[in-house]
Amino acid sequence: MVSVRVLLLVMLGVSVPATLQAAEITHKNLRFVEYPDFPEAHSTWGSIGYSKVHRKVFVGVTNHRDRVGLFEYDVTTERMRLCGFVPDLANLRAFQWQGKVHSQIVEGPGGAMYFTTDGGESREEYLMDHPHGYSGGFVMKWDPAVNRLTNLGLGLQYESIKDLQVDPTTGLICLVTYPQVRFLAYEPSNNDLRDLGRLGSDHVPRVMFSDWWGNVYYVDWRQRLVKYDSEQRRLLFARESLPAFPGTPGEYIVTGITAYAVDRQAGVIYLVTYGAKMLAFRPSKEGLGPVEDLGGIFDAPGQPPWRYYCPNLALGSNGKLYYFIGGHGMYAVKGENIALMEFDPKTRSKRIVLTTPLKEISEVTGSDVRDPAGNIYFAGRRDDPDAAERGESGASRPFMIILNPQRSLR
Amino acid sequence: MKPLLIGLLVFVAIAVALHGEYVFFTPKGSFTAEVSLENSALPRLPIYRNAITSLEVVGAYAVGGTSSRPGLSPYLFAVSLSTRKLEFVRDLNELIPGQRAIQSGFGRGQQGVLFAGTMPDQAGGSGHLLQIRVGKEGIEAVDLGTPIKGEGVFALAASRGREELYGIAHPSGRFFVHELRTSRTQVFPETAASRKQLELLANYALTPSDFLTRRLVVDREGRVFGSMPVNRLFRFDPGSRRVDVLSDELPEVWGRRPLGRVDAWAQGPDGMLYGGNAGDGQLFRLDPNTGRVTNLGKPIMMPRIKGLAFGADGTLYGVAGGEPGYTHLFLYDPADRGFVDLGNPRFPMTAPGIEQGIAWRGFQIGSMAASEDGKWIVLGEEEALSHLMVFPALE
Repeated sequence: MVSVRVLLLVMLGVSVPATLQAAEITHKNLRFVEYPDFPEAHSTWGSIGYSKVHRKVFVGVTNHRDRVGLFEYDVTTERMRLCGFVPDLANLRAFQWQGKVHSQIVEGPGGAMYFTTDGGESREEYLMDHPHGYSGGFVMKWDPAVNRLTNLGLGLQYESIKDLQVDPTTGLICLVTYPQVRFLAYEPSNNDLRDLGRLGSDHVPRVMFSDWWGNVYYVDWRQRLVKYDSEQRRLLFARESLPAFPGTPGEYIVTGITAYAVDRQAGVIYLVTYGAKMLAFRPSKEGLGPVEDLGGIFDAPGQPPWRYYCPNLALGSNGKLYYFIGGHGMYAVKGENIALMEFDPKTRSKRIVLTTPLKEISEVTGSDVRDPAGNIYFAGRRDDPDAAERGESGASRPFMIILNPQRSLR
Repeated sequence: MKPLLIGLLVFVAIAVALHGEYVFFTPKGSFTAEVSLENSALPRLPIYRNAITSLEVVGAYAVGGTSSRPGLSPYLFAVSLSTRKLEFVRDLNELIPGQRAIQSGFGRGQQGVLFAGTMPDQAGGSGHLLQIRVGKEGIEAVDLGTPIKGEGVFALAASRGREELYGIAHPSGRFFVHELRTSRTQVFPETAASRKQLELLANYALTPSDFLTRRLVVDREGRVFGSMPVNRLFRFDPGSRRVDVLSDELPEVWGRRPLGRVDAWAQGPDGMLYGGNAGDGQLFRLDPNTGRVTNLGKPIMMPRIKGLAFGADGTLYGVAGGEPGYTHLFLYDPADRGFVDLGNPRFPMTAPGIEQGIAWRGFQIGSMAASEDGKWIVLGEEEALSHLMVFPALE
């Protein structure tokens, strides 16, 4: 019997020669994929999602001015393709220019992918409701089966739409706008858009997430969880704020959640806050559900524990959480490097897996985008001086990151 | 001191313009009082029942009256300007069920008494008149009854000397006088839209809530002023009990007369009346004696001026714009710089649980008032969860 076990282990080793222990995660566990046919591409902003039906990853890539390309990555063929540019696909007029896709790209009923558009630069930020400003963000539906983009209409006049969630069964779409932090519920089946009101302060929390019953979550200005109960069609507010480090400044509190990862089997949704906390939220069908404080996402002596920027998170098939820290001027590792972290939610232990200079990775976004093979997908940016003339918010080039913590990708 | 501060504001505006950006108006001493919060142990107003549509300052308290979404009822509340927190809350449903809004504005009576009118939740319902006192014991509200059966109270003002309330009924737009001593109401149909005017307004898809005067004002002589369709102003003389339609109209942008109505009033130190035209957002001055209207221009590109108030130094503050765009706070200095756009105000909010303070940016502001000494300007939000924003007026 022992010999059989040894033989099985040997066979496993032969068939998966690049299998690595967690401690052995290296750059070989990462692969970078470029976006073709978009030479002026500048950045990505959490605008990534996975279709289980089509086995494809979708990414919205922007020149950070007025052109957003929709890309699809075929997991099977490992090919990245430009589906088209949103203004052309959606027949937008010049006054309906869009600066970026800031939302997640979320799979809805039938494998259709949903996303929203965002003004995303000075013309919106400062000209606002002027005719030279921003007309407003749209809800878009991409059908990968027929390569067709459908414009489902404007959210609110002049407002960007920062994020969305889609009920895969009913098709209900929840949205949050910028800059007023208005929570919208939209039912495409009867074109019913309801404005449930302003929930936030002066900095819009960027991330919404859903549970497995189709309820959608966001935060208010006190960083309390707000649940849109899809059955009762109303908002429920948590009594208490999410855990935060003592002394966390108000601007960190109001910005809420920056990323999440879902462990359906365990009934847990992991959350990263703008105040750099890792939390375990266990949603309940009725009411909100308990939140467990798992500690900080990074520890460095002498540094404020809340000041780490992490707009990404994913759960590996090994049960560990992976995230890149750094970006927007906030870096954990000396020398302004991006750190890939591994967090074990069972032991609450965390470690730096590897670091990269900004010319390789400068910022990473994306929540819980993964395929059944254990590949995790992130939207990445790297510093690129050649891109200095393109767009605002830094000179960068976008690319997609694939991470497989348990397998070499090279 | 005033020119220096205005100059400083202008300098900041120029510096900002050079950068193509803006800075927020956050004067020292400004604050936001958290008024609304769902599911809280703190005294707060619940969601969808707290749009601050009526606002006045009495002594140390900013007193608010709210509007709610359909099927819900409004509140009265009081924020202490010294403790900077919500002190008292009164659910109107406990006093008068079936009301949706206190949007009339407050009329000031004697000895700190306020009056307000209510709008019913259901069409065909009846609004009520309220008498309100705020003191250390809380909010005392008395139902004075219904002035006109089957109509709401859209706008209200009070005479300090005559013990009369003046109102506009909704949806008819009729002007009424309610005598406090006898509870008698006299109705004046002259301010209501004619059938022909109603047909015209219907062509523009306008309802009475869009074209009736949002506020009334009483001048130093006790005369009452408001607007009426289409784009006109009226004056009620309480001595002769007569309504006169003024020959000067509200300032007009070509083609937009149907949108004209008064959104807000403020009486200047010189007795002149200053008004905001909702239709296109013009500030105007009305000489109450001659009826002469002077168009002072537009502080921003958007329509609406929902609030006006004078600071202690005679500077006029206002809030312009709003849905579907964003409110701008502005000041008007006729002697020097004219309009100065202060943008969306952003004042700090501290409260139990957010002791470190958060920044609160006002996007939708529906009401405005000055403290009795003119040292504070108070702004009321119109949101699903609204707050009170307060700043010290320039000295």
